[in-house]
Amino acid sequence: MQIIQIAAETVTQVSQVTGNLGVLGYGLAAIGPGIGVGLVVSKTIESIARQPELAARLQVTMWLGIAFTEALALIGLATPFIFAA
Amino acid sequence: MFDDLNSVMFRVLKLGSLLVLAVVSIGSAIGFLIAGTSGVLAALSGGLAALAFTALTVFSLLLGAKLGLGGFLAVVLGGWLIKMVLFLVFFWVLNNADWLSSEARPVVFFTVVAAVIGGLVLDTWIVTKARITPSV
Repeated sequence: MQIIQIAAETVTQVSQVTGNLGVLGYGLAAIGPGIGVGLVVSKTIESIARQPELAARLQVTMWLGIAFTEALALIGLATPFIFAA
Repeated sequence: MFDDLNSVMFRVLKLGSLLVLAVVSIGSAIGFLIAGTSGVLAALSGGLAALAFTALTVFSLLLGAKLGLGGFLAVVLGGWLIKMVLFLVFFWVLNNADWLSSEARPVVFFTVVAAVIGGLVLDTWIVTKARITPSV
């Protein structure tokens, strides 16, 4: 009986999430753009290594890729203004 | 005749600033109707954040293009990281600001989203129109 009680208490404690959930929100908002910018940059390096004469054009294209990806991050950072309790 | 990185980026800055000005004007009008002066300040802060966000990337690119590939990536990616931290602090301060009433809070969000999405459309249009020379 005592064991069941301890188990029940443990489950309650584990399933409780305490603290600010906004931290999780920021973490999730950072994952996508992080992966996205990494991919954009790695492919740009690869392309410049293959065709160095196109560097100027590839840098502009890379900037466009970064601009699209970071838009998600900025919107993610601004969400507390509509979702906050 | 042909564009280089600098001319494209300066065009982005110039037209981007005009776009943010337009978004902030509309946002301020709507914000004033919803929440009075607090709404106007909210639209201004949102517009400032969106403009600074775009402009900092453009400046990091302009600075980085003067360096080699390694320097370019260091400046652009390092600048991106610092910018994220700056904006986290900016939004944290704004989130706790007393002058921002609860009715005005969505105005910040929607001004940021409108300016960022409008900016992306503008950026894409400028880049597709640009005629960039190969460096050789």
